[in-house]
Parts: sequence; C-alpha cells; structure tokens
Amino acid sequence: MKNITYLALVAVFVLLVFSRSAFIVDQSQQAIIVQFGEPVGGVISEPGLHWRIPFIQNVRPFDRRLLDWDGDVSQIPTLGREFIIVDTTARWRISDPLQFLRSVQSENGARTRLDDVLDSAVRDVVSGSELAEIVRSADWKVDKSQLREEDVAAIGADELAKPKKGRGQLEKDILATATQQMPNIGIELVDVRIKRINYIDSVGKQVEDRMIAERQSIAARFRSEGQGRSEEILGNMQRELQRIASEAARQAQEIRGRADAEATKIYGDAYGQDPAFYSLSKTLDSYSTLGENTTLMIDAKSEFFRYLQSSQGR
Amino acid sequence: MSDARDIIEQLLRRSRGPRGPNGPRTIPAITAFQEMFGGLGVIVRGVITRFGRVIGIAENGLNFKLPFGIDAVQVVPTQRVQKEEFGFRSEKADRARTQFAAGNPDESLMLTGDLNIIQVEWVVQYRIDDPVKYLYSMRLTTKTLRDLSESVMRRIVGNRIGSDVLTIGRIEIASAARDEIQAAMERYDNGIKVITVQLQDVLPPTRVQPAFNEVNEARQQLERMVNDATKEANQAIPKADGTAKRTVAEAEGYATERVNRAHGDVAAFSAVLAEYKRAPEVTRTRLYLEALNKVLPKIGSVVVVQDGQATPLPLLNLRDGQRLPQKPEATR
Repeated sequence: MKNITYLALVAVFVLLVFSRSAFIVDQSQQAIIVQFGEPVGGVISEPGLHWRIPFIQNVRPFDRRLLDWDGDVSQIPTLGREFIIVDTTARWRISDPLQFLRSVQSENGARTRLDDVLDSAVRDVVSGSELAEIVRSADWKVDKSQLREEDVAAIGADELAKPKKGRGQLEKDILATATQQMPNIGIELVDVRIKRINYIDSVGKQVEDRMIAERQSIAARFRSEGQGRSEEILGNMQRELQRIASEAARQAQEIRGRADAEATKIYGDAYGQDPAFYSLSKTLDSYSTLGENTTLMIDAKSEFFRYLQSSQGR
Repeated sequence: MSDARDIIEQLLRRSRGPRGPNGPRTIPAITAFQEMFGGLGVIVRGVITRFGRVIGIAENGLNFKLPFGIDAVQVVPTQRVQKEEFGFRSEKADRARTQFAAGNPDESLMLTGDLNIIQVEWVVQYRIDDPVKYLYSMRLTTKTLRDLSESVMRRIVGNRIGSDVLTIGRIEIASAARDEIQAAMERYDNGIKVITVQLQDVLPPTRVQPAFNEVNEARQQLERMVNDATKEANQAIPKADGTAKRTVAEAEGYATERVNRAHGDVAAFSAVLAEYKRAPEVTRTRLYLEALNKVLPKIGSVVVVQDGQATPLPLLNLRDGQRLPQKPEATR
C-alpha cells in the first residue's frame, strides 16, 4: 500500500517535471528561454518539442509570422490645407526576438512604438503633400481626348496634372521615414499602405456642394446648348428656306422675262411689217374690249367717229 | 484531458496517420470515418502539426493522427471560393434573393483622381491555395486581405477621373484591382489566390446623385431639342423645295402661254394684214364696222369732243344705243 502511494507520488513528480521541462514551439512561433529574467541561449526558431530546466526557466514565445498594424484614423491637413482623414495599415514582423524582448517585452509594447513612429511619419508625409499627390499614383494618365467635354470643363484641364510622386512613392516615403525613426526594438517594418483617405465631414459637404454645383452647371450648359443648337438648326433651316424660295423666284422671273422678251420680239417682228395697220387693228381691238355702259369719248376728227357717223347716217 | 479533447477533435475533423519521416510508429488513434462528415460537403485540407511543427497535409478521406495532443489538425477549406464584401454586407443568402444590408459608408467612400467623392462597393473572391502558408505566414490573413483590398481599390479609383470610374472604367478597375491584390498577397506569400474582383454599385455620394440625374435629363433634353429642330427642318425644307419647283413650273407655264399667245396673235395679225394688203380700203372699212358692231351694243353713250367746243357733245343716249346694232347690219 505504501509502495503504491510512493509510486504514485513519484509518477506525479515525474509527470510534473516532464510537463514543466517540455514545451512546444508552434510553427507560427519563435521562442526565447528566460532564466531569472535573462534570456538564455539563442532564439528557438525551429518549431517542435523543446526542453528547458523546469521551475527556473520560462519560455517567451513570439510570433514569427507577418503581423499587421492598423493605424489610428487621424485628421491631417494636407499641404493645400484640406483636412483629410487618413487611415493607414502596415505589416511588420519580429525580426530580432532577443532585441525585441529586451526593448519592448511584448507585442503591445511594440505596437505603442509603432503607433508613435508610424503616426508621425504619416502625418509628416501627408501634411507635406498636396491632396492630389496622395490620391493619384505615379502612373496617372488621363487621356483628355477620352474624356467627355463636360467633365473636362468641370474639372479644369490644368488640375489634371500628373503627380510628382504619387501615392505609391508617398507610401514608400512613409515607410522610409518610419524605418529611419524606429528605435531598435527588433522589428522589421515590411510595408505601410494608406487604407483610406476621405475628407472630414465638413470638407466632404463642401466637396459635395461643389460636385452638385458642377453638375448643375453642366446640366444648365446642356440645356442652353440644346437651345443654341436648336436655334442654329432652325436658323439654318430659315436660311435654306429663303434661299430655296428666292432662287425659285429668281428663276421664275427669268423665265417670265425671257418669255416676255420673246413675245415682244414676236409681236415686234410681226407688227413691224405694217405699223399703220397695227395701230388700226389695235385701236379697234381696244374699242371692242370696252365694257358695258361705258361712255365713249371720241374726237370728232377721228376715223372711228367718221365711221360712226356714216353708220348712223346710212 | 487531452484525450477527451482529441476525441472531439476527431469527431469534428478528419484525422490521419502520420506518414512523414519522423513518424515511424503509427499509433492508431480514435478515428472517424469520412461518411460521418459527408454532410459537410466542403472540400478541405487538414494541416497536421506534431508538437506545433507542420508535418503534413491531410487530404479528404480517412486519416490518422497521434492522440494526447501530440498531433493537431487545423482544417482549412481550400477549394471553396470565399468572398469579402466591401461597402455592403449580403445577408440571408438562403432566401431566393440575397438581401443587402445598408451600405457601410466608411468602406465605400473614396476619392477619385479629380478629388471628388465616390461610393464604390465591391466583392473580392478568393481561395486558399496553400493552407500552410495561409496559416503560418501571416497572422490575420483575412484582415490583411481586406485592408489591402481597400488600399488597392482606393489607389486605382484615385488614379482615375470620377466620370471614368462611374462609366467605362469598371471592368478595367476590377481587373487591375484583382491583379494588384494578388500581387500583394504573393508578396506576403500568404497562400491566398484572388479569383476575381467585382465592382458592385458605383455611385456618386447620395446627396449628389440628384444632380447627376439632372445632368442626364439635361442631356436628354439637349438631344430632344436638337431632334425637334432637325425634324422641323426636315419637314420644312422638302416642302420649300416643292414650292420652289411649283413656282418655277408656273413661270414656265406662263412663259409657254405668253409665247404661244404671241405666236397666235401674230398669226392672226399676219392673216388680217394679208387681207388688208390685198384690199386696204375695204378691209379697213370692214374692220371699223365690225368693231362698231361689237362695241355699240354695249356702249352706254358716246360723247364727241370737237376742237373749239367747250363741252363734249353727247351723240347717243342709252336707249338709242340699244337699237343701233341692227343698223350697221342693214348697211351690208
């Protein structure tokens, strides 16, 4: 009975020692053995089962994967004094766990440092750049001929300039500044990216107002352009109508004139054979065309009167 | 303790015996058959770790692993296409039509190259290509995918004119975003394969939308006004052409008539003249008499004007004029 108790005690003790001396380093981790607060040995980067001296050595695991950093959403004025909201994100990794352990102890400590350095780097770069620089990229290419006329008018052609640096370069600048300013805490900054840029609410409202005004002026331009083009078409139509009508009138006059001339010539040729007889026949014709109840006034010496007298006399 | 956890793990996931070089003696673990999990219907792969170290990948099917916490399995759905939504969340996908939750303005609002505001909603579809990399190269892989997607989409949209984004740029933007997100994932080497990026609603900010509609209406109005005017012109000008032809034709008619009449008149004249030349006196008298014959019945009165006389002398009155026609005939 006593033996069994001893055996059990020994077993418990062995198990305890075993469980306190074996530890697992996960694939995602690297670890440092700490003895009385001081790191012992190198960095254990090989995942798997490892051993330590029980009770006096502790294990500090650190992630060895790529870690993310999510920046505060901060209001920053640009070089052009627009206030914008900038949200950045970065990736980093623990590259030197010993240094990391010595300087910041934990990821939280590292994050605080990252906050300080990255926030200030973002602030420096953003406030030293025009908004367009941050929004556009180096491969900015606006084919003005591809744009609709209305949009170019709304934007203003000179505002479409290619950025000097562009977003990608600014992100690299932020990374460079941050890396330079980062105290040696055993981490490596892999990249910094601007996640979001937006206007602050009040500026956003103004921009929206401007967009509305722009659109409305475009709409107004369309409408007046419509009127203008309609007037132009109607004007052209009027001109065409007058041209057609006047050309026709001219042609008609010419035709009539030619006909009149021809008729005159025909008459002239014929009547010229005997003008005296023509005058006679024309006079008689004109008498015969007199209307009813006319008072005929004739000269007593005229031939017609002579005949009239003779006809009455007979 | 670890045994119990293991049983649960076994029941929930597939298990597998180790095959690697450092797994010589296989201890059969409590196993579960795939039939038990057939209902999951998801193609998955299990990443097996022994004491935290990756020792292999288990495919679908019956697998074994060491119990008591020595081996652990992390199941990663590798074939399933997963998606991340930006600017909206679809919910209740089990209904006939996916319903969308209200937009998430922070996610969808962005700036265009002409520094205007635009709302872009999009979906990133991806697949986990390499489960080991997915698990062990980054900590928050999905969050990183989200962050990067937002960053990339904003860069691309910011590199274009707003009107371009709203209209013709959609397909280009989507494919550029896919390529760029994929490139970033490859740089992180996190085992994610971006399949496609699809733009959903791309709109101007809510407050500006009516103004955009106004522009569209104005454009329609412009077209309508131009069409109306063109229509009027198209109606009026052919008509005027017709009228012009008519005017000319009428003039030609006049001309023909005028010339023909002249010829007729001349012919008549020539005929009479020929007569006249043969017997001038007789013809002359006859002509006068004929004229009188024609004229006298109609004439009201004849007044004779004589040289040296102050007032004209009335020769006939109306009544007498009525009887006169017979008389010249009697003279014949």
